[in-house]
Amino acid sequence: MNAWRRFTRAYAALLNWLLVASVAILVLPVSMQIFSRFTRLIPHYIWTEEMARFLFIWMIMIGAMVGVREGAHFEVDLWPRMSARAQAIVRLFASLAILVFALVFVWAGTEFTRFALNRISELAELPLWVIHVAWPVTGVTWIVFIGEKLWDDLRIALGRAP
Amino acid sequence: MTGAALAPSLAGLILFGTFFGLLFLRVPVAFALGLACLPILIIEPRLDSMALVQETFNGYNSFILLAVPFYLLAANLMNVGGITDRLVRLSRALVGHFPGGLAQINVVLSIFFAGISGSSTADAASQSKIFIEAQRKEGYDDSFSVAITAVSAVLAVIVPPSILMIVWGGVLTVSIGGLFLAGVIPGLAIGLVQMATVHAYAKARGYPTYPRASLVEVVKSLAVSAPALMTPVIIIGGKVFGWFTPTEAACIAVLYAVALAAFVHRELRWGGLRHALLDTGRFAAVTLFCVGTASVFGWLLAYYQIPKAILEGVLGWHMGAIGTGFFIALCFLVVGCFLDAIPAIIIVGTILDPLAKLAGLHPIHFAMIAIVALAFGLVTPPYGLCLLISCSVAGIRMIDALKDTFIMLLPMFAVLVVVIVWPDFVLILPKLISPEFLK
Repeated sequence: MNAWRRFTRAYAALLNWLLVASVAILVLPVSMQIFSRFTRLIPHYIWTEEMARFLFIWMIMIGAMVGVREGAHFEVDLWPRMSARAQAIVRLFASLAILVFALVFVWAGTEFTRFALNRISELAELPLWVIHVAWPVTGVTWIVFIGEKLWDDLRIALGRAP
Repeated sequence: MTGAALAPSLAGLILFGTFFGLLFLRVPVAFALGLACLPILIIEPRLDSMALVQETFNGYNSFILLAVPFYLLAANLMNVGGITDRLVRLSRALVGHFPGGLAQINVVLSIFFAGISGSSTADAASQSKIFIEAQRKEGYDDSFSVAITAVSAVLAVIVPPSILMIVWGGVLTVSIGGLFLAGVIPGLAIGLVQMATVHAYAKARGYPTYPRASLVEVVKSLAVSAPALMTPVIIIGGKVFGWFTPTEAACIAVLYAVALAAFVHRELRWGGLRHALLDTGRFAAVTLFCVGTASVFGWLLAYYQIPKAILEGVLGWHMGAIGTGFFIALCFLVVGCFLDAIPAIIIVGTILDPLAKLAGLHPIHFAMIAIVALAFGLVTPPYGLCLLISCSVAGIRMIDALKDTFIMLLPMFAVLVVVIVWPDFVLILPKLISPEFLK
């Protein structure tokens, strides 16, 4: 179990770094687009806009992965204050719902990626699967992170955790 | 849709029923929207779960939405780069001597902040850290401090630039430059009524005030803040005169904030920069992920022509322009309680658009009614993000801050009514400055 937790923590740390990098790099293609229009310092590349969009998609997906581990996805709380055990049971249900959605992402996302295997993007001519593969990767990552939560809440719900 | 297996009414019932059921069970909003689409995708023979992936992809594959992380990043960089500190000093010099000085500074800083950032939640997060503890020390009630911080944060989406205006312009093809200009007067009006509210509170409860700043201090603080105050001029000017797209303007705001922090204030540290980037990535991603699932939800509504079915019922009421305006505001006020503003625009904005057209509302007028009404939703329970953020920083429960929040919303309602009944209140600036936006 300990090795499992170490793995998820290291994986989350890696994703956080990728998130920082993707936000930082996002600034570049858009800046290039502006500077190439107003100055003659750099040529006007046609792929900057597409590049920015694709990186943006990965940024959203990586952040959505990390968000599940940290419980950062917003929820509406209409429940009164409850015991720790009752709260764990409510959380169990929400986690199961996320698990279902994760399975859909893995299943449909794999199709989506296979569908794009032989296609390239319009402007930068990147292989499209590089972007589409974000969906199954997100699904798998959610399963990894939500599995940890399900386990913890199940122990609280069964009264086996302090 | 001919040949659809489900009748529109049944499809609508499944979509909204599943969504609200899951919401009640504390499934995160983004996931509840996506999961609500699943039964339909399984039942309807022409659709499958590939549609879900494809539509989320289409939702994210947008150059306009890219402005969202940039405005968040600009706001976060202001905080780590010493820009916010200088604006606090200026606000104090300007309004610190009014009754309830610190709370007045809170409101005025929100107006400055709104002119640079377009994100209310970023404003609520940063100002809660600055003001709530400080106001507690000076003897302000916690519920008042939380309420004024959260309520003033909503200015960020009304005063341009605003993420909501960018999304609205992108989704419903309205001129974003025109929306930016239209937001100036209502934004300042809401700021003023908030200052008046603080004044009334301070008189009634005896909140402290600062000595009047000397003229020298006013000039000095204005001088150190001048580079930061140039940001809205660059962003809005650049947009209005057509130099940049909204996304590029947001990118300029980021570059300008970095340049100010690194070269003018010399306060940019690697740790602070990393923190700003990580914070931006997390918050932007969680907000935008919801845009994807909301797009699928909205796409299915359109597939079954549910908006048309709803509108046919409403059209029978013959409301007229002002009645329609109030109806639109009411819809967005209610929806804003349960949904974040961006998915609300994608789903409800597109449903109501034909209604607004039929009633003869100008598209910019329609947008401003919706955006001001959605701004209320940022502080109303159960899903008022700004209020949730301020409460969590202050360590109090949302329910304890509700009374003061609603008192502060009352004068703002008056502004919303003016926005509805007097179109020129929002349209006059775009008319005067660039009439071509109104066509």
